[in-house]
Amino acid sequence: MSQSTEKLKPLKTWSYLSKNRRRPSEYEIVSAGLHFSTDNPACPWELDPGIFMNEWYRTHREGSPLKHDDWDGFRDPDELVYRTYNIMQDGQENYVDGLIKEFDGLDHDQGLAPEWVEVLAALYTPGRYVMHGLQMASAYLAQIAPASTITNCATFQGADSLRWLSHIAYRTKQLSQVWPDYGFVEGERRQWEEAAHWQGFRELMERVLISYDWGEAFVALNLVLKPAIDEAVLRQLARVARSHDDTMLAFLIDAQLIDSDRSRRWSGALVHYAQQNEANQDVLDEWVTRWVPLADRAIDGFCAALPNSLSAADDAKRDCWGFRAGLGLSA
Amino acid sequence: MALLNRSDWYDIARDTNWTPKYVTEDALFPPQMSDCFDIPREKWAGYDEPYKTTYREYVKVQREKDAGAYSVKAALARMKFFEGADPGWLSILKAHYGAIAVQEYAAGMAEARMARFGKASGMRNMATFGLLDETRHGQIQLYFPHEHVNKDRQFDWAHKAMHTNEWGAIAARHMFADMMNTRDAVSVAIMLTFAFETGFTNMQFLGLAADAAEAGDFTFANLISSIQTDEARHAQIGAPALKILIENGKQEEAQRKVDIAFWRSWRLFTVLTGPMMDYYTPLDKREKSFKEFMEEWIIGQFERNMLDLGLDKPWYWDIFLEELNDTHHGMHMGVWYWRPTVWWNPAAGASSAERDWLEEKYPGWNDTWGQCWDVIAANVAAGREDLLLPQTLPVICNMTNLPIVGRPGKRWKLRDYHLDYKGRRYHFGSEPDRWVFEQEPERYAGHTTLVDRFVAGLVQPPTIEGALQYMNLGQGEIGEDAHGYDWAFDYQNFRKQAV
Repeated sequence: MSQSTEKLKPLKTWSYLSKNRRRPSEYEIVSAGLHFSTDNPACPWELDPGIFMNEWYRTHREGSPLKHDDWDGFRDPDELVYRTYNIMQDGQENYVDGLIKEFDGLDHDQGLAPEWVEVLAALYTPGRYVMHGLQMASAYLAQIAPASTITNCATFQGADSLRWLSHIAYRTKQLSQVWPDYGFVEGERRQWEEAAHWQGFRELMERVLISYDWGEAFVALNLVLKPAIDEAVLRQLARVARSHDDTMLAFLIDAQLIDSDRSRRWSGALVHYAQQNEANQDVLDEWVTRWVPLADRAIDGFCAALPNSLSAADDAKRDCWGFRAGLGLSA
Repeated sequence: MALLNRSDWYDIARDTNWTPKYVTEDALFPPQMSDCFDIPREKWAGYDEPYKTTYREYVKVQREKDAGAYSVKAALARMKFFEGADPGWLSILKAHYGAIAVQEYAAGMAEARMARFGKASGMRNMATFGLLDETRHGQIQLYFPHEHVNKDRQFDWAHKAMHTNEWGAIAARHMFADMMNTRDAVSVAIMLTFAFETGFTNMQFLGLAADAAEAGDFTFANLISSIQTDEARHAQIGAPALKILIENGKQEEAQRKVDIAFWRSWRLFTVLTGPMMDYYTPLDKREKSFKEFMEEWIIGQFERNMLDLGLDKPWYWDIFLEELNDTHHGMHMGVWYWRPTVWWNPAAGASSAERDWLEEKYPGWNDTWGQCWDVIAANVAAGREDLLLPQTLPVICNMTNLPIVGRPGKRWKLRDYHLDYKGRRYHFGSEPDRWVFEQEPERYAGHTTLVDRFVAGLVQPPTIEGALQYMNLGQGEIGEDAHGYDWAFDYQNFRKQAV
């Protein structure tokens, strides 16, 4: 054995991060550069290069038209790690527990107007399918993203979606106990599959779920579908809830939108990061242009069913457009 | 309106399947991503995960677990365990973190496969927690070793190992890719969560935790037993999937996949966990031998799990039981001899007292493995370091990517199981390894082992130095004998006294 080469000294951090010449945060230490499957683009997984899954990753990740020399350089602006995510969301859940308890003490559901209960059965509780669809789409993005720092954001977004699916399930049961004849628990699937006001979102959701190119999956999910849900299915519904004395729903949705704001922060940061490569602007714009009409139709269909909400669809679409325009995107 | 118990609303949260209208079922759930067994979709409605938890419960419990693990670490950091630790124990930490941390993170991607492509809503929800769990295990097992990087360059490999072509890293990537990252959701459920996580993670996270507590490394003991509480939850994704496969006439295919994953796990553990437990852990800190831990966790518990579900023991069970006595001793000797090619310092574990222990736990050890260590110890005593280091590369198994090992000495047993497939000869370390290849040759045929690459001229210069460079191992990282050969002098003195 030759001993001629220089002996490597211990470093202050991972050799992977030491080139940055600054003290890394806990976030960077535990989040950056974890996807070894991006090391060999010709064969992402250490088996025969020709197997189906290697082809899938070559096509949908390495082959994406969205390109960057160093996706691993992306950083989540919130620098969330697993540990801090649980601390934060346990606190948020404490708040929601408090809301549920407080409104239970006020016999809130008993005081709702029957016309509003019908609206809840048609427009609120079927939302569990929407939240679950977001959960699934986020899980896909997590497994196909080209950097662990992107994957982690998608992982937490998927967990947030399960969080809101769970709250809807909880509220569905509570409403069914007070209002047994309004189709709660059993009726949501029919609403989701058949009611005209859901079909736009259902079509958009199904198409987003089969959008397997990682870049397009991100754009369709985080820049189009999710903002449309935030603005129509959440914010506009909350506005109407307030005017129908359903303060509880409005509070719940406000709490959910805190998670959505976080999603938008990292989505925006990822768009800006991608825009470092000028060629990506056209790619992003093309995808946005392709997906937005479906989302606008979904918003129109849903908002048309909201009572007393003439401007809801336009407001929701304007806010979605505003979010994307703020990122320098065409639509 | 009333406050609810979990059971009042849990089923609603897993009633989320709908019939796609705007895209086809196959586009939404491509069989090779979702369910290669092709079970009719409606049958998955019967999927019932035994371990139920909710988001609300999850974030609360996990917050508390992390608070526990991180506060123990913070409190014990002042005790300077690292500075006084046995070098063999530090090698366990280095090998463990390098082999495990980033692979656990990759297991999260397999959980994500189930969370997206599982056809049962309950599976998707549980796998969403599984994805979070594995994010935890990746992150916490990077955070803990990071505090040692400024003391010892080998700790850099907690993050670095899986990004290199170091042979152990290739072996781990090949095995985990086969078992989790390249499989459809249902296969992940039975291969990763059932075959691997219900059995083998107990070995690495509970068995080793017992040794760690004995060794006084409470930070590590506490960390890995906390990890195992998560594994114990998401490992239960697999059993209800197996039940559905069996109910729908897929017992044979399911058994085959369990058998593949079990064998591949076993073989990786012979090089990772076996040497840690029987050679690296300081003698007075060993709770049980590797074989005894295997008997407790795998033969006792996992075998029962399989039979309870209606599966059989794998066809190679007798071969497996025989291997319990041998294989990891061979792997250990290989790792020690080729120690410049690993990122930790292997402890030989062959002092006279340790040899007594090995003979007690593995009767006949002295007449087999002991004979080889006799030669090594004599070479140490004679100052022949040239005979203590490798000059060539070993023959490597085309399935495990580990050396082909056998039993030396008076009970000599070594065999190369080979197979010719499409004009190429493949070598295997055991009959089950060859059997795994034969089940689906196209998964493996185009892969090259480190030695294949060497022979093909991809490793330049074609020397040990060139190989180390290819494996990304520099001076300061490459392994040395953990105890500076003290064990060999001890054994030589003992022999002289005996004579």
